[in-house]
Amino acid sequence: MYNQLRQRLRRGIERWEISLLPGGMTIALVVFLRWFGGLQGLEWMVFDRFLRSRPPEGMDRRILIVGINEQDIQQLGTYPVPDRELAAVIRQLQQWKPAVIGLDVFRDQPVPIGATELNQVFKTQKNVIGIEKRLGMADAVVVNAPIALPREQVGFVDAALDGDGALRRSLLFTEDAQGVVYPSLSMVLAESYLNQKGIEIQPGIRDLDSMRFGSVELPRIHGRMGGYSHLDANGLVSLINFRSGHRPFRVVSLRDLKSGKVSPDWVRDAVVLVGIMSPAVRDYVNSQAIESENPALIYGVEAQAHAVSQLISAGENGRSFIQVWAWPWEYLWIVSWGGVGIVLGWVVRSPWKWLLGLGIGVGMIVGAGYGMIVVAWWIPVVPTLGVFLINGAGLTAFYRYDQGLRSRLQERQSIIDETFNAIHNGPLQSLAMLRRSSKDDRLTRESLLEQLEGLDQSIRNIYEAMMREALNPEASVYTSDRLRLNLGEPLHEVLQQVYGDVLERELPCFSSIKVKVVNFEVLDEKLLTVELKRGICRFLEEALCNVGKHAIGVTRLEVRCGQMEGRQGVCVVDNGQGVLTEREGMGTQQARRLAKRLRGRFERSVRASKGVSCELSWKGRR
Amino acid sequence: MSKFRILVIDDHAMVLGGTTTALKTHYSDAELHTAQTAQQGLEQIKVLNPDVIVIDLSMPEKTGDIAKVDHGIQLLRQIMTDYPNLNIVVQSAHVKSLVRIKSAIAGHEGGFTIADKGLSMQEMLTKVDWAMQGVVFTPKEMRNGIEMKAEWLDVLRLAFEEGLQDKGIAERINVAERTVRHYWSKIQDVLDVYPDEGKNIRIQTEKRAREEGLID
Repeated sequence: MYNQLRQRLRRGIERWEISLLPGGMTIALVVFLRWFGGLQGLEWMVFDRFLRSRPPEGMDRRILIVGINEQDIQQLGTYPVPDRELAAVIRQLQQWKPAVIGLDVFRDQPVPIGATELNQVFKTQKNVIGIEKRLGMADAVVVNAPIALPREQVGFVDAALDGDGALRRSLLFTEDAQGVVYPSLSMVLAESYLNQKGIEIQPGIRDLDSMRFGSVELPRIHGRMGGYSHLDANGLVSLINFRSGHRPFRVVSLRDLKSGKVSPDWVRDAVVLVGIMSPAVRDYVNSQAIESENPALIYGVEAQAHAVSQLISAGENGRSFIQVWAWPWEYLWIVSWGGVGIVLGWVVRSPWKWLLGLGIGVGMIVGAGYGMIVVAWWIPVVPTLGVFLINGAGLTAFYRYDQGLRSRLQERQSIIDETFNAIHNGPLQSLAMLRRSSKDDRLTRESLLEQLEGLDQSIRNIYEAMMREALNPEASVYTSDRLRLNLGEPLHEVLQQVYGDVLERELPCFSSIKVKVVNFEVLDEKLLTVELKRGICRFLEEALCNVGKHAIGVTRLEVRCGQMEGRQGVCVVDNGQGVLTEREGMGTQQARRLAKRLRGRFERSVRASKGVSCELSWKGRR
Repeated sequence: MSKFRILVIDDHAMVLGGTTTALKTHYSDAELHTAQTAQQGLEQIKVLNPDVIVIDLSMPEKTGDIAKVDHGIQLLRQIMTDYPNLNIVVQSAHVKSLVRIKSAIAGHEGGFTIADKGLSMQEMLTKVDWAMQGVVFTPKEMRNGIEMKAEWLDVLRLAFEEGLQDKGIAERINVAERTVRHYWSKIQDVLDVYPDEGKNIRIQTEKRAREEGLID
């Protein structure tokens, strides 16, 4: 099993243009797509989906939202909400000593009636924070803060929306053209709250441009990060680690407040956000990451609550911000899984094991992605899943097709080789003999007839032998002209019989041989297939036939089979006259091919003294 | 001479009887044992540690099996691996099938003679005698002319060109003296030189080797 896998792996590497190239191209394509933002949308979707599916964290009681809803507006009978109403709300809340109040309502212009009352509140109450809009887009109007508010009591509410219009990031500071830095509403509120708790906000340690809330450093999001292929550094930005759960914050209405339904405990020491929560006003942002009735839309004031909550939770509870791997690690993760896909598609043959492997792989990628989100790490899921599935599932079909085709071709090639070998070593040799003797005019009518009959018979024999082998491909038999040997016997014994058979043939040069130095020793056959054994037999037959035909004047023939200098092999050496060119030809090609399949070598050389040495050797254990 | 043991392995009761009778008459002081299957044969060799075995090629593996030459060949292979010094006489009508294990025979260090079943009883007894002397005899049809191992050629050269004795040869080619003696048996078989009353076998060997051009 192990060996088989190793073999397939090795073949995969040898045939890299089939196995690695398409898989590698898939990986390259996906990496390219992600690099240039082609997968952002999908990655965001999965990110939101995972965030939404996290276990609930429970309500954050440090934050209270006073949401002025449609009913409240109906009751007031006017919109925008008049200054006096807002001043009253703030005054009422202040009785219960909140830590800080964020007024998430634009008040760049006074809304009659009650401007003086509200201005009074703004001027005297240090824990009231107002809002402004700073980053004017081409078509958006910049909204100023209330004039009466001191500068340090203002935060901006600009949202950093993604390409799909959804909110995932929180802008904490921004900078104007003059280099003046402005904080966001959530930042101002969180700082005020944490200061009252004695928790400091300090510059970051790992990233000097970032900051620490208590002991937790905020990871700055910029450039190429997470699922983002490109982000402007328009200030200090973090991902929003939305507070999970169905009701993350307590929300009360204006009516609740007026009718005394609000407990003073909800307000004491809390961050109170006052904002509009009416569908008619359309203060919405898009987010899929929050579990709610209408997950696509959340009110602006809720988004602010999430942003504040993650900052104060970091400072007070050490809750993590969402972090991402540096991009090289992300791409390493993606490429690695692409590699796993290739190996799965190439190595695993059994369809069930393959499906199982595919399932396990998908489970691991998705599981890791989700598991990491739960501990506030965003790792790539979509591109990883993409390369794994395309390579593991898609390319498998391609691999299978290629492998099937190849094994059919191999089969065909081996039949052609077998047939040619048999013809070459049998009838073709007889024919060559016949031709030679007819040139020499030694041919009598009788001997011609006899030889022709022999030729006829040996061709018929080949047909029969091929039929036998074709009908019973498992049969481990070596057949030559006159022999039929069982390849199940020890190979060196089979080879010795092949040798004996060839030497009995009437080849012209054999008659001059005086001494044969022969040694057939045991060969390691563990790694030899029947086909290879057959090939080795053919090689010996061919080499000996060559001596018989070409080694004129040979007196000494050496045939060795067994261990040779750490390798093993078959070697035929003669001392006759021989020129190499005479002996090149089909036989040599066969031998080269055989040597390649044995991962060994084939050498034929003229010896310094006289004669030719012909050797086939390969690695093997004793 | 102490009593020596002969084991005859043959599945034909008649042949077995004939052979043992002849052997008994010839070697009055021998202890004779018989086996009828390959399995029995192996067991007997283990227990008896015989000086010589006479074996038929065609035999059943176990009692009740069909007799096959393959079983005999397999048994011979086994015996030659396990007892490389045992003297063996192969008595068979299928001498040609021994070609398969020629390499094993070439490596066997005990006496090894082959007696065709068509031979007279006297000739058969000679083959047993030879085997016990460590002689090697294989019929000509089993051989491809002069077929030597490289070591055997060395022995010839050292003995007849350099005039070394067995002990000297053994030292030169780094083997035991008894291995050199066993090489001589092999060489003599190749050169068709066998024990002959009143003739010096080494001189015969030298003569034949010169005839064949194995030494200058």
